[in-house]
Amino acid sequence: MIKQLFILLLAGVLITSCKSRPKEDLRFPGTEMEPGELRISSQAMEEIVQNISSPIEMAAIIKDLGVPFSSQHLSKISTEDRYSTSFNMALSLGILGADLGYLNVYEKTGTSVNYLSAINKLADGLRVSQFFDFNTLKRLATGSTNIDSLMFLSVHSFNQMDEHLRNTDRNNLSALMIAGAWIEGMYFATQVVNQTKDDFLAEYIAEQKITLNNLMVILKNFANDPEFAKLIKELELIKSEFDKVRITYEMGDPQAVEKDGMLMIVQQENSIVEISDGVLNNIIEATAKVRNRLLTM
Amino acid sequence: MSQNIQESVRQCAVSAGTDATYLKDFIVKLDGIRPNERPPVFRTTLVLRKNVTYRFSLCNLENSEGEAILRLYDEANMLASTYYPETGKEYKSINFSCQKSGVYTVMISFKEGKAGETIGIMSYISK
Repeated sequence: MIKQLFILLLAGVLITSCKSRPKEDLRFPGTEMEPGELRISSQAMEEIVQNISSPIEMAAIIKDLGVPFSSQHLSKISTEDRYSTSFNMALSLGILGADLGYLNVYEKTGTSVNYLSAINKLADGLRVSQFFDFNTLKRLATGSTNIDSLMFLSVHSFNQMDEHLRNTDRNNLSALMIAGAWIEGMYFATQVVNQTKDDFLAEYIAEQKITLNNLMVILKNFANDPEFAKLIKELELIKSEFDKVRITYEMGDPQAVEKDGMLMIVQQENSIVEISDGVLNNIIEATAKVRNRLLTM
Repeated sequence: MSQNIQESVRQCAVSAGTDATYLKDFIVKLDGIRPNERPPVFRTTLVLRKNVTYRFSLCNLENSEGEAILRLYDEANMLASTYYPETGKEYKSINFSCQKSGVYTVMISFKEGKAGETIGIMSYISK
């Protein structure tokens, strides 16, 4: 009897305690997710940025093809009004950097002095002028005898300015500088291929598809900024043509040859690039339009 | 970057050859190997372009204890090295005639895992 009473009492306690427990919220946090911004890590950004084509390489390829220098390819140095925002300054720094590379490759050191002055002002505006030794560069340019050192110091300065922008959390400005340099290099290449119809250069341009895709990844990181959004929209015009380029690969083992104490490796793996004349012409046209619009942005 | 290092980089870049156009430098400083650890290695990725020949050269700094070795890799294999221990062959630089645009890796370390400082230069080679 006592045992039965105890059980009844226990049951009563249990029923009462269940009734008095507050209702739990059964919704789990995080089940409804807002679409977030796509962010890439600083390390990933650095890897991509470091591997955007150097405009020096583009200029050197053009020169190797035997194409004469043309001042018509260069951007005109603008008035200071246009360099009023950091967006414009960084983009212009990239563009003028590519122009300087083109001038140096062709050893047009007289003309390069004007570009050095403009670059110096932009570097000052962006607070990276400590990496641009204007006086030494000007001396080397006006001296015209030490082209190797001029080339080295020009490229090295730009690499350092870019690295400093990234190290001081100004990845957005670094991205703009890279974008400016890329578009100007592409402009040189497309203008030359339009004249020469050179297959080698056409293939080099076509493979910029990969570079542009990488560049867009970086720029889209800042797509919330209206100026970046505008830039991305412009570059999409070029990208839409590059999307029609097809790149495939053939496998092969490298061959090694020793010559004059130097090891030469000739790769046998091959990338096969398919680009129609129509697509190439569209890329040439789109690049010119976008580049010329960016100069007035 | 100190003026001394910048001057060393410039000299190394210029010494890459009259047919070489400087593109990039790697300044590498590594500590010596510690017991039960792998030798330290500097690693960087690069995009190289088809139909372009690149030169990778090394300049050891004066106070470097170890001798630098540079190795070039594609995504799967080692393509070239400035030092082959099996044969003892050493090269001051490597020319790489690229036929497939893509991402490659450069690794720099020092022989016998010694501490060292070196400058690596990547150049474009004119045809």
